[in-house]
Amino acid sequence: MFSKYATKSPWLYRINTGSCNGCDVELATTALIPRFDVERLGCKYTGSPKHADIVLVTGPVTVRSENYLIRMLNEIPDPRVIVAIGICPISGGIYRDSYSIRGPLDKHVEVDVNVSGCPVRPQSILDGVAQAIGIWKDKIKQFHEA
Amino acid sequence: MITLSASSVFAYLLFPGGLFAVLFGLLLLSMGRIAVARFQGRVGPPIYQNIFDIIKLRVKEVLIPEDVTNKLMFCIAPVFGFVGMMTAIFILPVSGVYGGTGASSDLIVLIYLLALPAVSHILGGSASGSTYAAISVSREVILMFAYEISFIIVLFTVALAAGGGDGAQFSLKGIVDYQITHGSFISDIKMIPAFLAFVIFMLATLEVPPFHIAENDGDVMKGYLMEYSGMPLALFEITHALKLLVLITVLQVFFMPGIAGASIIVNLLWFIGKSAAVVACIAFIHASMPSFRVDQAFKFLMIVPILLSLMSLGMILFF
Ligand code: SF4
Repeated sequence: MFSKYATKSPWLYRINTGSCNGCDVELATTALIPRFDVERLGCKYTGSPKHADIVLVTGPVTVRSENYLIRMLNEIPDPRVIVAIGICPISGGIYRDSYSIRGPLDKHVEVDVNVSGCPVRPQSILDGVAQAIGIWKDKIKQFHEA
Repeated sequence: MITLSASSVFAYLLFPGGLFAVLFGLLLLSMGRIAVARFQGRVGPPIYQNIFDIIKLRVKEVLIPEDVTNKLMFCIAPVFGFVGMMTAIFILPVSGVYGGTGASSDLIVLIYLLALPAVSHILGGSASGSTYAAISVSREVILMFAYEISFIIVLFTVALAAGGGDGAQFSLKGIVDYQITHGSFISDIKMIPAFLAFVIFMLATLEVPPFHIAENDGDVMKGYLMEYSGMPLALFEITHALKLLVLITVLQVFFMPGIAGASIIVNLLWFIGKSAAVVACIAFIHASMPSFRVDQAFKFLMIVPILLSLMSLGMILFF
């Protein structure tokens, strides 16, 4: 019963695993710039991984960020949805086959939504978040049945 | 004297305390978010957003970190602030709707109750064993020292002014009654500096910019709330909503308790309207200000609001 209303309040958490910052700028503008207002879906950026519902991961998972990524993902409470933002976490993108890359992201965690683009367009981020909310709803149901 | 009766239990649990206060406070918080969004040219969240946030936190897993320094304190810390705010909203009169408890010195009790949310932040943050929480707790303590002084001076100024020349009036209901017969303090030139000092105190306790220091996402992430998740976090959110409502009610009791008519419904609507207007003003300040550093904020709070409130106190005492 609660899952219906709970999905109206997804809190977003951003993890940067060594991206070129292009996608992070797009993420910041998605929420802040008047034209693309992700707060309309009830989202809000939160500073703590423990408050996160939808996790937006950017960057190709570099060697240095690998450990931190795993530790961070362990701290995020269930039910949660992982969204890969940009071509970097999906396949490595322009950094593919580099010696310093431990990607792609789905080696480390099950990814629910892929949002491609380099950098991603704000519209597709919004679309990705909207899809993630749909997946999150099912996950809440499963979490409470289990 | 407060006696345990059916009507006081009703006032504590349903109206105007308890359920009504929680829902109204949450609505005020979302109204603030919408107003900030509109000032920035966005649409903003729906009006019931903060209520859904609470429902959402109910379905989430509760994590208790392994390295908390004091598990018991970590779990019960949110309760202090919540109970304090529930009691504060119970003793505060809403002019024309609810008379408060009518105790003769509840103004003094208010000083202690208003400090409780900060105390629960400090206890919870320092028990959680996170470095971010430690930084944010030290900032909160520094700010608390600074803003409590000006609040206490404003409080005594109001009490003296409501005494009407012979002594001070320490009953909240007495303060409201005095202003209803003699005109609101906001229209009294002598009280304007105290009003400004109180507004600065409000911004500092609510931690909206320019005092968004203790839980600033930019440098201390979520501060003292860093390790909280699920229900305890929801309790902190509810406490924040109640704190907003309590501060707005205190503002109305101290400076603008005017009534709109004889009927309770009209007065209640008038109260809701005034509260929404205050929230809109806070949102305007929120949307247009950057944040202080903690040392700048301390200097500002030690000088400006204290001087403003002392100015009012002096004028009330000597003119
Ligand atoms: S996908 Fe492109 S823009 Fe985004 S972080 Fe990777 S390289 Fe930068």
